[in-house]
Amino acid sequence: MSFAREPLPKATAIQLFKSLYLARRSEEYIVKHYPENLMRTPMHMSMGQEFVCVGVCSALEGKADVFASYRSHAAFLAQTHDTDRFFSELYGRTSGTGEGKGGSMHLAAPDQGHILSSGVVATQIPVAVGAAFANRQLKTGRTAVVFFGDGAADAGVFWESINAAALFKLPVIFVCEDNGYAVDTPREARQMSKSLSDVVKPFGADTYEDDSGDVESVYSLAKEAVAKAHRDRRPAFLNIKCCRYLEHVGIGTDWNWGYRDQATVEREWIDRDALKVQRKRLAEHQVSEAAIAAIEDEIDKAIQASVKRASQAPIPTPDRLHAGVFYEKA
Amino acid sequence: MSIAAVKPVQGTRVLSYAGALLETMDAALADHANTFIMGQGVDDFKGIFGSTTGLAEKYGAQRVFDVPLMEEGMTGVAIGASLVGDYPITTHIRADFSFLAMNQIINLAAKYRYMFGGLMRCPMLIRIVVGRSWGQGAQHSQSPQATFAHYPGLTVVMPSSSQAILDMYPAIINRHPGPVISIEHRLLYNLDFTVSPSEHRVPLTSYVARKGSDVTVVATSVMVLEALRAAQYVEDKAGISAEIIDLNSISHPDWDLVAASVAKTGRLVVADTSWLEYGVAAEVCRQLVVRDPGLLRQPPTMLGMAPAPCPTAKSLEDIYYPSQHETVDAILTQVKGDKHGIALPVERSMTEGYKRFRGPF
Ligand SMILES: Cc1ncc(C[n+]2csc(CCOP(=O)(O)OP(=O)(O)O)c2C)c(N)n1
Ligand SMILES: [Mg+2]
Repeated sequence: MSFAREPLPKATAIQLFKSLYLARRSEEYIVKHYPENLMRTPMHMSMGQEFVCVGVCSALEGKADVFASYRSHAAFLAQTHDTDRFFSELYGRTSGTGEGKGGSMHLAAPDQGHILSSGVVATQIPVAVGAAFANRQLKTGRTAVVFFGDGAADAGVFWESINAAALFKLPVIFVCEDNGYAVDTPREARQMSKSLSDVVKPFGADTYEDDSGDVESVYSLAKEAVAKAHRDRRPAFLNIKCCRYLEHVGIGTDWNWGYRDQATVEREWIDRDALKVQRKRLAEHQVSEAAIAAIEDEIDKAIQASVKRASQAPIPTPDRLHAGVFYEKA
Repeated sequence: MSIAAVKPVQGTRVLSYAGALLETMDAALADHANTFIMGQGVDDFKGIFGSTTGLAEKYGAQRVFDVPLMEEGMTGVAIGASLVGDYPITTHIRADFSFLAMNQIINLAAKYRYMFGGLMRCPMLIRIVVGRSWGQGAQHSQSPQATFAHYPGLTVVMPSSSQAILDMYPAIINRHPGPVISIEHRLLYNLDFTVSPSEHRVPLTSYVARKGSDVTVVATSVMVLEALRAAQYVEDKAGISAEIIDLNSISHPDWDLVAASVAKTGRLVVADTSWLEYGVAAEVCRQLVVRDPGLLRQPPTMLGMAPAPCPTAKSLEDIYYPSQHETVDAILTQVKGDKHGIALPVERSMTEGYKRFRGPF
């Protein structure tokens, strides 16, 4: 199923490309430099799945309150584009999102609509329902969006949250980043239902399936889902099929684990990599190769600059250890 | 690094903590037809950090199986199976995830025997792993021994060595009549220990891990190793004889053993893996004070996590946990006063001592 009914305008296509490229290149930087052992924080890489968060966050045009899982990088960068605070956090610096206390699994920039990411599976889901509730009451005009994996949909709290959102008539956007696995356990070994959407629907949510692997499709789908959720005062459930290119946690590949086949993954996913596809689209929009290269170069330089700032930023001093545990002036 | 066993004797062999776990899990399945293991990832090739690897192939998917993300549900399933005669073993790769199962553990498993007037038995083993270092962070590093031991009805142990596992697990599995929570430590998994087929098994309570006369150190889990290393250091550098007690069972410690040691030394260090507030250290002091407020010659020293959620930045993580540096300092200060003037080890981060652990998990 693909939702790109008609080609998106050139400006949108470029913006989606930029966002995808930023997330991908930031993680490529991590892959290259993680072995230096200076980013001492377990990382669950988004690589391959970035198009989900990029499509949804771009569709919300900044008016989202985003909640994400420990697979946090793409959601954070898609929503904030803030590589400064991102890398600072990974390097454990005071200029990071959590002044170096949170690490990769716990990124947050509430001032930019990225409320939080959480390390315990599914914990962010009911929290997003609460944000939707308050957004309605406070008339903020913001939409609560929650990203989670297919594994999180095993958990009881996911079903409680879907039920509550429907019951309270809240336009929560539930986005399942369905990469088909919880660590190395395939969805079929954990859930009996053929399709999650079929089970979610009778709870009173509108459901959307997308297996296009395409950022424009996700973008269009999210636009439609968000509009309908607000109009009909119902939650939306977006099940977006995607593929995690790297191992569950860490920067390596996991082809030797024996639970999935490299050639199949390459054929079914990597060959139609969303970033590659989007780059081709820019060419179709008559963006010249030189112009695309310039876009890429600019983003690469921004990442380099952020990394440099991060590595020169102050390391948390001992007094920070006890600061901020309670609500004293930190 | 290799750590000497509790009581090294002839006929010893070297066995990692993970290896000891795997042996006891294997033996449990072989010896008891009613035993099964369930948990996320128990049947994959990483097998809970090597502690269940290959067992699904050996005993079949009916007895060793993966489960969906369903911590509370899984624990309820285990309780139900236990009530009618099975012996379930469940796993959580981080203690933090067992918090989702608190309701079943505390409101059900802990209480069924008592609340139903002895009609019920709920024998089961819940294995949970404490994470530490390399940016595990606030939600992957908690050590809830005091929490669980607070609730009457739960037996809580913290094996600190391969020997402790080899001796205790067979005594627990299918033999202990109630729910047991074993709090394992991630940093111990890859360490090699010398183990022996000793007659003096590590009991399901506290034991003396090293005899001494100048100061008593009561320690838990990986802090037992830190204390043993520190004891060697202070003996070499200052001729101090530290007695190390591995508390080992948090719910059923041998308080007489602890009190007798403190009566002898008059000095106390408690080295725990968790927070001090309302924790193991507090309980040790309570037990001593109610026995005899005069047991201690001077105020004791407490080592534990700083009273904060665990930060990821190395500069903070290193001071969040007690290090070898601080453990040695605590012992020296107890015996020689805070102006002891003896050089401390520079090692401040446990990952420096336990080099084989390097992230991510
Ligand atoms: C409550 C809980 N149980 C177990 C874990 C360990 N764990 C971390 S990620 C994960 C798999 C989750 O899979 P999914 O929701 O599909 O997300 P994905 O990693 O595929 O993005 C597990 C079991 C955890 N973090 N929290
Ligand atoms: Mg998944």
